[in-house]
Amino acid sequence: MSAFFQYCVIGLSNGAVYAMVAMSLVIIYRATGLLNFAQGETSLIATFVVWEAHDRGLPLPLALIIGMIAGFLLGAVLQRVAVQPAGDPATAPLQLVIVTIGLLLVLNNTAGLIWGNESKVFDPMFGPSSVNVGGVTIAAQQIGTVAVLLVEALALVAVFRFTKIGLAMRSVASNAEASGLSGIPVARILVISWGIAGGIGAIAGTFAAPNLGMDATLFLKILVLSFAAMTIGGFDSLLGAIVGGLVVGLITDVLPRYVDWLKEMPLAPAVLLILAVLLVRPQGLFGSKQVRRV
Amino acid sequence: MTLLSATFHRCGYGPVNVLSDVSVSIDEGEAVVVLGANGAGKTTLLRALSGMIPFVGSMTFGGATRSKTTPDAMVRAGMAHVPQGRGTITNLSVEDNLRVGAYTRRDREVAADIDRWYEMFPRLGERRTQQAGSMSGGEQQMLAIARAFMSRPSLVLLDEPSLGLAPLVTREVFDRVAELVSGTGTAVLVVEQNANLALKFATRGYVLESGEVVTQGTAAELQADTSIREAYLGGPTEATS
Amino acid sequence: MKFSMSSPSTRRVGWGLALLVLVLFPLLVESGTEEVTRWIPLAVAGIGLNLLTGFNGQVSIGHGAFFGLGAYACGIWVNDHDGQFLMGFIVAIVLSFLAGAIVGLPALRIRGLALALMTIAVGTLFPDIIRQFEGLTGGSSGLAIQTLTVNGRGKLQDRTTEWLAPGWSGISSNQWRFYIFATIAVICVAMVAALIRSRTGRALIAIRDNEVAAETNGIAVDRLKVITFGLSAALAGIGGAMFALIDFNLTPDPFNLTFSLNLLVIVVIGGSGTILGPVVGALSVGLFNDVIVKKVLPADLGLLGPVILGVTLVLSMQFAPAGTVGSIKHTIEERQLKRRIASPPAS
Repeated sequence: MSAFFQYCVIGLSNGAVYAMVAMSLVIIYRATGLLNFAQGETSLIATFVVWEAHDRGLPLPLALIIGMIAGFLLGAVLQRVAVQPAGDPATAPLQLVIVTIGLLLVLNNTAGLIWGNESKVFDPMFGPSSVNVGGVTIAAQQIGTVAVLLVEALALVAVFRFTKIGLAMRSVASNAEASGLSGIPVARILVISWGIAGGIGAIAGTFAAPNLGMDATLFLKILVLSFAAMTIGGFDSLLGAIVGGLVVGLITDVLPRYVDWLKEMPLAPAVLLILAVLLVRPQGLFGSKQVRRV
Repeated sequence: MTLLSATFHRCGYGPVNVLSDVSVSIDEGEAVVVLGANGAGKTTLLRALSGMIPFVGSMTFGGATRSKTTPDAMVRAGMAHVPQGRGTITNLSVEDNLRVGAYTRRDREVAADIDRWYEMFPRLGERRTQQAGSMSGGEQQMLAIARAFMSRPSLVLLDEPSLGLAPLVTREVFDRVAELVSGTGTAVLVVEQNANLALKFATRGYVLESGEVVTQGTAAELQADTSIREAYLGGPTEATS
Repeated sequence: MKFSMSSPSTRRVGWGLALLVLVLFPLLVESGTEEVTRWIPLAVAGIGLNLLTGFNGQVSIGHGAFFGLGAYACGIWVNDHDGQFLMGFIVAIVLSFLAGAIVGLPALRIRGLALALMTIAVGTLFPDIIRQFEGLTGGSSGLAIQTLTVNGRGKLQDRTTEWLAPGWSGISSNQWRFYIFATIAVICVAMVAALIRSRTGRALIAIRDNEVAAETNGIAVDRLKVITFGLSAALAGIGGAMFALIDFNLTPDPFNLTFSLNLLVIVVIGGSGTILGPVVGALSVGLFNDVIVKKVLPADLGLLGPVILGVTLVLSMQFAPAGTVGSIKHTIEERQLKRRIASPPAS
């Protein structure tokens, strides 16, 4: 029985990372209406910056802040330079998918060129200690990961709900044209939205890398899992991203231990859940229903 | 006294030109209407004025020349635009919609203004935390107008406020807008197909046909003009409304 | 209605030239034949994806699954039924079609991002399924497609399959394989072109442009969408079958999300919604990856290749969003339009 809870602990802390990536995806989807295939790679570069800063002697929290700034700048620049000129996702969706695929290639391989292919060691933010609760070993890092997720989520919700810029971002996400006509600088808000998504990517990487290894494949490994988190939670819901991520983490780490035929299929639980959700309740747990106007 | 003066030689969407040599001017505090059938170019005219689409021509607003500009810059300059279909920010609450309207303001009277709008439109006040998209058409129209006035503009552009609204509701909308014009001294440029109501509300009007101004004059002149009567007002004898 | 690009005689000359290039190429550039042969399955799969996404408006980022299904179907059949290549193709086509139609059914109810994610899920699931059923597919270690031959002592033995050109032709097995694949590809292009020009083709384009209007005009939208999914998957399956018959060795790894993304890139770069777009796209990407990257870049800077490709993708969507073929078509149509406006035909 304690084995089950052990797997749950692992699943929750892994799931917290998927949730963090999913939150970036949701912010971008709400702002610009597209699925950003390159989100993981923007986060990758930001995480490499964190690693580099820490490697050069800075304490990890400070390195994280630097990485967040780098991620913000990168996301903002990419939106302005690559995404905005490519047109409106509503009218040219395929073209924008290709842009994000292109960005994925550029960012991922640039990271490989700069930092090489070998996996580097990434220190866990909360250190190596752990506690034993009823036969279940819980690492400080695991608790810390979930805690950071919750703090991050609260911070984002607070920004969206209580700040002027959060209001602007919500407004643009709902109706960009009317927002512009009300005086909101829409283009600038989009740049900021992408910047925020990039900035929080550094946090996701900081908590993903200790387990998965710091190299260019870091976010590729969890790309589909974060898509699953977004789908289960609902494309436009931050709360959904959190719940979705935790659910994906749980089923991915717990189910294969008990279901034999899943052992060879690591991504299957998450993927099957994507299919189930899309067939039964496409808007996910917390997403808004898409009404088709005829 | 002249608030807005614009001449659009050419204006349109890509290769399709819609407006040809259209000139309009509006004085401070004036209520002006632009009449015309579907496709005459009324909406395009408003979009050019508020900076949504580019134009070939000239425009001065609030004493400054405006050429290549953006909608949010025009709001900061004092021009608010309520688009066709109201442009309700559907996922936001009523109160948030109003706060968005005040986005360009840096003063501290925003909350007081919002309360004043709830007084004027009690139904909005009742629904202040409700999602704006769940309200009726008439309520959304009130909200859109209130949102536009939240920026304390000197000119408000209204695109077909009667669209999709029942006649009684439309009448109420026009009455309120008239109150606002006389009460706040804000100029209003209304684009309408419902010529009857519009000419009662405005002091001056333009008639657009196929992207050109074919007639202009005071509201009384336009109402008396027989060709206008026949084309837009339903016949030689004006219907009692 | 679209303008026709040029007069029928010009088009015939164009096709003739293209066919001539196809025939002469392996004879003139024998060393490059093998590489170019590898592009053909991608082109055919791209034609399939384009049919679904470009012409019918249904996004799919999981076509690698149908490609892989065709590859394994053909490979397993040929392995079990010595030398029945044609049958292998037919099995691949039928199974891929069915798989596509099955995926197309739930696709009826979702669109846009949800559909993209569903196809991603399908595409991601495929390699795992292959690994799971290793008894049939060889799992992670792979499937070697072998033929039985009689050895000197009269015994049946397994031997890795290879292509053998007929003796009278005097060409190498590489060239022979190229001609077979090219013929299949040309047939596929012709069939898709015929389909697009038919009433059914117009109907599926109508669905893309305005599904509700199509339905109210009497088009059986649901049925046509499912069939298109099936046809699109079948074409991908043909590509997969060809792919299996290049190296006669299959592993599940190549048929992943990256492959599906590549396929989408091929379609959009070439020009989605055009008949030849995917062919041009496959040629361009193949040329870039196999020729420019391998031959021009120094070995340790190999990653620069994908970086350049990525930058090209980003820039091309800004400046030529209609893809290569699409942009050419637009330019020709614009010129024709300008000519007509300048000198209108006498009425």
